[in-house]
Amino acid sequence: MNNRLSRRQSLKLLAAAITAGLLPSLPVAAGPAAANPANNGMLQKKFGKAGKALPAIGMGTWRTFNVGSDPKLLDARTQVVKAFFEHGGGLIDSSPMYGSAPDVMGYALQKLGLPDSLFAAEKVWSPAGGSAREQVADLKQRWQLEHFNLMQVHNLTDWREHLAALRQMKADGKIGHIGITTSHGRRHKDLEQIMASEDIDFIQLTYNITHRAVEQRLLPLAQEKGIAVIANRPYDGGSLIKGLQRRNQPLPEWAAEECGSSNWADFLLKFIVSHPAITCAIPATSQVAHMQENMAAGSGVMPSASARQRMQRYIEAL
Amino acid sequence: MSDGSAYQLQQFIPFSRDVYFRLLERIGESFWPLHVLTLLLGVLVLLLALRHKVRAGSILLAPLWAWVGYAFFIRHYAELNWAGNYIGYAFIAEAVMLLLIALSGKGLAKTAPDNRPAVIVGLILALTGLVGWPFIGLLSGDSWYQAEVFGIFADPTAIATLGLLLIMLRGWLLWLSAIIPLLWLVISSLTWWVLLNS
Ligand SMILES: NC(=O)c1ccc[n+]([C@@H]2O[C@H](COP(=O)([O-])OP(=O)(O)OC[C@H]3O[C@@H](n4cnc5c(N)ncnc54)[C@H](OP(=O)(O)O)[C@@H]3O)[C@@H](O)[C@H]2O)c1
Repeated sequence: MNNRLSRRQSLKLLAAAITAGLLPSLPVAAGPAAANPANNGMLQKKFGKAGKALPAIGMGTWRTFNVGSDPKLLDARTQVVKAFFEHGGGLIDSSPMYGSAPDVMGYALQKLGLPDSLFAAEKVWSPAGGSAREQVADLKQRWQLEHFNLMQVHNLTDWREHLAALRQMKADGKIGHIGITTSHGRRHKDLEQIMASEDIDFIQLTYNITHRAVEQRLLPLAQEKGIAVIANRPYDGGSLIKGLQRRNQPLPEWAAEECGSSNWADFLLKFIVSHPAITCAIPATSQVAHMQENMAAGSGVMPSASARQRMQRYIEAL
Repeated sequence: MSDGSAYQLQQFIPFSRDVYFRLLERIGESFWPLHVLTLLLGVLVLLLALRHKVRAGSILLAPLWAWVGYAFFIRHYAELNWAGNYIGYAFIAEAVMLLLIALSGKGLAKTAPDNRPAVIVGLILALTGLVGWPFIGLLSGDSWYQAEVFGIFADPTAIATLGLLLIMLRGWLLWLSAIIPLLWLVISSLTWWVLLNS
């Protein structure tokens, strides 16, 4: 199939063109929350006032889980979710904007059964999708779930109305936590204002080794206010890790000792989740092997503050 | 544009390359052997256009657009992209426009097709959409039912229709009725470009 696809892909392209360091490395147990053998050694990070914890590696579903009703692909994605939970996964992030991804997650969870560690995170967006209440009800049906642990306002869309409705739903016990998302470095000033003035449990923003603007104001503010932080686009949408892999860029020699990393997925994700303000990173993948790599990054040696600086310098110098 | 800009644009394309290929394959499989009928209808519209039976050509073309709007976009493509429903409605609107043009007689070419550039370009586009496009699939190893055929798939329908419009219509109604096929071709080209480069 691959041969045929690549031939077909190049023909399509043609056709389309015609038509138009100071501290030593810290073992996981000394991190913000301890590793727990019951969670496959996955780093658990505390959030909120109740002292709950989440596995440091979650998963996203943008593009990768939008497979429609294709039986073959539905089963393939179910295997990815299975690997996620087998490795101690918790938070799964989706959105009504991601096409069929919420339905695909519903299919996978039905097949696999509901794991105790599932922390289901969804979003409400533009008024086109109906009121926040209608959207949450619709999403519950699509995921085939009774309860969402987290409901976020997607990209700050109509955030005043949506947050007010979500707050009420949280008070009624209909959803667990509330939050707000952005990405690609957009609307950081607005997000900062919301964090300062509104009572929210989670924010979601883009943070990775090449996009660190949030380190300046948003991450310190989140720590100060006790707001949990989900890091989206950990591989910059895939271009970061695929670029490094395509160039056969070797890992620095010190990566094994200082970060416990033997591959780029591990290196890039550990950089993110070792930041004290980050609760979890949510890489998205369509492949079981990639899921296994991503989940492994949640355990073992975590880079220290000085090692994190070394990691940054190494990537900047490339 | 570089690979970097393909990754930038990726935020507007909510599915991956392999999933889109699978969707196209499944659409082909589920409608087979309707391909033969829609392709024959397309060829018939071209023959009618060339024989200056433009009203009949336009009337025949209209239901094909409504069908692609429903079967390709609303029934299948919208599974992967919430915008699919709106694109489907736009295709149905194009069908209504073609029907109104045929019924009112406005905008229809008054003279038989000659060798003006618009007619020649129209003929080339119509043949590309009707014959050339399915061949891309066949050349790359697809079976007949997987090949992208006029009247089932959006790309060949839009390309061939642009050609047919150039032969059958004149004046501002030609340009008005070309907007939706052109817009879809821009969206489709960008989609393929992003999918193949990121
Ligand atoms: N505004 C918002 O709320 C917002 C915006 C953006 C993202 N998000 C959330 O954040 C999640 C993550 O962001 P993202 O999906 O845009 O980008 P990402 O996670 O940075 O990158 C995903 C890409 O990385 C590849 N990948 C994953 N693991 C890999 C590995 N181990 N080795 C090589 N390649 C690997 C995947 O391809 P393969 O399938 O081949 O593995 C996929 O193409 C999203 O899925 C979504 O849930 C939210």
